[in-house]
Amino acid sequence: MSWMTVLWSMPASASLTFALLHLLVWAKGIQTRANLSFALAALAATALTGMELMSMRATSTEQMAIILRWAHLPLLVLWVAILYFVRFYFDAGRTWLAWSAAGLRVLALILSFTTGQNLFFNEITGLKHIVFFGGETISIPQGTLNPWYVVGPLSALALAAFVLDAAFTMRRGGTATGRRRAILFSGSITFFLLTSVGHGVLVNAGLINSPYIIGLSFMPILLAMSYELSCDMLHAAQLAQQLQASEAELRINKQRMDLAASAAELRLWEWDIILDEVWSTDKGHLLFGIAESQKISFVSFLNILHDEDREQVKLAVEKSMAGNGDYESEYRIKMPDGQTRWFYSRGRIEFSKDNQPQRMLGVTIDITRRIQAELAEQQQRKELTHLSRVTTLGELSGSLAHELSQPLTAILCNAQAAQNFLARDKVDLSQIQDILKDIIAEDKRAADIMHRIRLLLKKCEIEQLPVDVNKVVLDVLKLVSSDLVSRNITVQVDLDQKLPAVIGDRVQLQQALLNLIMNACEAMTHTQANNRQLFVCTELAGVGNAQVSVGDLGPGIPPENLASIFEPFFTTKLPGMGLGLSICRTIISAHGGQLWASNNTGSGAIFYFTLPIFPGESA
Amino acid sequence: MSRAVPTVLVVDDDPAVLKALARLLRSIDLNVATFASPQAFLEQVEPGMHGCLVLDVAMPCLNGLELQQELVARDIGLPIIFLTGNGDIPTSVQAMKQGAVDFLTKPVDDHDLIEAIHAAIEKDYMIRRARAELAEIREKLATLTLREREVLGHVVAGRLNKQIAADLGIVEKTIKVHRAHLMAKLKVRSVAELVHLVERADILPMTPDRRRL
Repeated sequence: MSWMTVLWSMPASASLTFALLHLLVWAKGIQTRANLSFALAALAATALTGMELMSMRATSTEQMAIILRWAHLPLLVLWVAILYFVRFYFDAGRTWLAWSAAGLRVLALILSFTTGQNLFFNEITGLKHIVFFGGETISIPQGTLNPWYVVGPLSALALAAFVLDAAFTMRRGGTATGRRRAILFSGSITFFLLTSVGHGVLVNAGLINSPYIIGLSFMPILLAMSYELSCDMLHAAQLAQQLQASEAELRINKQRMDLAASAAELRLWEWDIILDEVWSTDKGHLLFGIAESQKISFVSFLNILHDEDREQVKLAVEKSMAGNGDYESEYRIKMPDGQTRWFYSRGRIEFSKDNQPQRMLGVTIDITRRIQAELAEQQQRKELTHLSRVTTLGELSGSLAHELSQPLTAILCNAQAAQNFLARDKVDLSQIQDILKDIIAEDKRAADIMHRIRLLLKKCEIEQLPVDVNKVVLDVLKLVSSDLVSRNITVQVDLDQKLPAVIGDRVQLQQALLNLIMNACEAMTHTQANNRQLFVCTELAGVGNAQVSVGDLGPGIPPENLASIFEPFFTTKLPGMGLGLSICRTIISAHGGQLWASNNTGSGAIFYFTLPIFPGESA
Repeated sequence: MSRAVPTVLVVDDDPAVLKALARLLRSIDLNVATFASPQAFLEQVEPGMHGCLVLDVAMPCLNGLELQQELVARDIGLPIIFLTGNGDIPTSVQAMKQGAVDFLTKPVDDHDLIEAIHAAIEKDYMIRRARAELAEIREKLATLTLREREVLGHVVAGRLNKQIAADLGIVEKTIKVHRAHLMAKLKVRSVAELVHLVERADILPMTPDRRRL
């Protein structure tokens, strides 16, 4: 084979290799636009190199004319590919320059087929044979030039202007790598344009005797590209190394996390909502009593829950999916060994862009010990509350006896009066009827008092019902009314009639209020008799809270005691057990409210408590 | 002195109890007046009222014991029967010390109450009669002259006319005249009767010893 053929085949095959490589990358879908445009450019360069080789071997003028005419097709492809690459890979260059370069090239293609034999020659008159080193003979066209010939160099100038302008833009902004690439690509493309087109013009004009070197001048571009490509590969290798390192770190972190999780009896889990598959730390299976090989789905998770908790957990999950993605619940699981354990679970859902729940991440803790302690404490508290209620009732018994004696006196007197009237000769039946009516009314009054006492004595579970706070206040005031009278205390009641109901246990709230009122009364033992006033007020406080305040005109609370009065067994009363206020606080806290005290600016103390309003009524 | 119809005055702040008590007392034909509060009672009470008072201990503003003190201060001597819901001992002791007739626990039996009321009315009558007698005696004593009073003192002290005459430095005959006058004015016929009257009046006429003091 002649060395010319070898020389021209090398860039052709290199271009083809590049073209195929980038086509492959393009097909895989990585950096698609840039790869496609490079592939096209390289293909065009291959075609051009092939055509150059064919023109060297042309044996007739017709053959030469056809090759030169068709050469404008790969040239157009090359132009468009370069424009496309610069415009979209570097995101630079003026659009109008791009359009003019492309437009001129299209025009060149059209003119090549419509005027003369091709764009270069009106007519190729002959073939000049040149002998190169080593006795190699090649053909060069000779003839009259086509006047439209100038369109070709113009389009090359337009392309060069576009590329240089783009390179200039990129140099200004961009990173160091960006600048290097800009110089490399714009330099190689400009070099290619000037060399190939300039040389072509000179050859066509018959000024120099040499074959076309368009394909050869494309080589710097290929070299620049291969350089960039290897840079990219190097970078990828570095990234891979870093990835490996961070994976190792991740593994260590995971081990640490597992260790921490198992130490804290904590289970970390992830629920792939789409695949419905739950992953969890090793401890998770152990916690749930599920074999480690077994897969956990949402349904299988629900199945191991306590029957009473299943619905509640399901609702919590649905709520978090529909809401902001936060999930929180407490549930019981019956373990394989038969005991029931309590768990607290908290998680967060990740949503896709179109707001579809994708997965949920969370933690679960075994809280059995805490719950057991709480239950024991609750039981103890209930007993203490009952004890305190009985104690308070004991203190109240005197006034309760008085309270009850009133209707009983009325009943007895009425009955005896009726007896006396009936013993008379003339019986006034309407009078007897009046008496009987009064007896019934008084009997009901006595029954009402009994009912109230019984309610206070009853040891019952906390109810969760809507309670009218104003009614609680009035009931308690009724209960203590005779006590207040005997203590010479007047009551000033200020009730917000529009106060919505709260949620809770009426009897317990009565108990708390009773304690506070009794305390206020005790506080006024040494207050001047005409100055003993009790204030009870209900009002709406803040958002969704009912507030009750109980004030007195006693000496107030010493500031150093303000914090400790709510502690159990703190007392200033000699006969007191010091449980009253601590139980009040327990009751109010159990209702989700707050209890606190402050001193009046004048004299005396005020106790406040708040209770959350029944949700159905606050709206 | 005529025996006028007595009234039972009932004070209780509980309207149902007040009504029932009044009804019971009227059923046995007693005269009843009711008062819903101590204040209402104090506004209407007069010294001339007679009968007795039935009083609840626990009442707002002014309790039964305080009302009792107020009546003592106003010199209204109506006998008081206390009614109480819880019969605590200190309160009942204080009430009795202040001169209560009885201290009954609610619910009260009609026999106990009526018995106490009758006793109280009787006491009121006795007091009133004693007071009336006293007033009568004092009225008579007021008619005596100074010399007659002097002589009265000596007579009650058991001295003889002769001794009196010597003490006063006048003749025995004059003493006899004074003595006859004073016995006529006081409407007594014997010395024994005279002594009894003076004792009842609880006044000590001027005695020689006292005058010397």
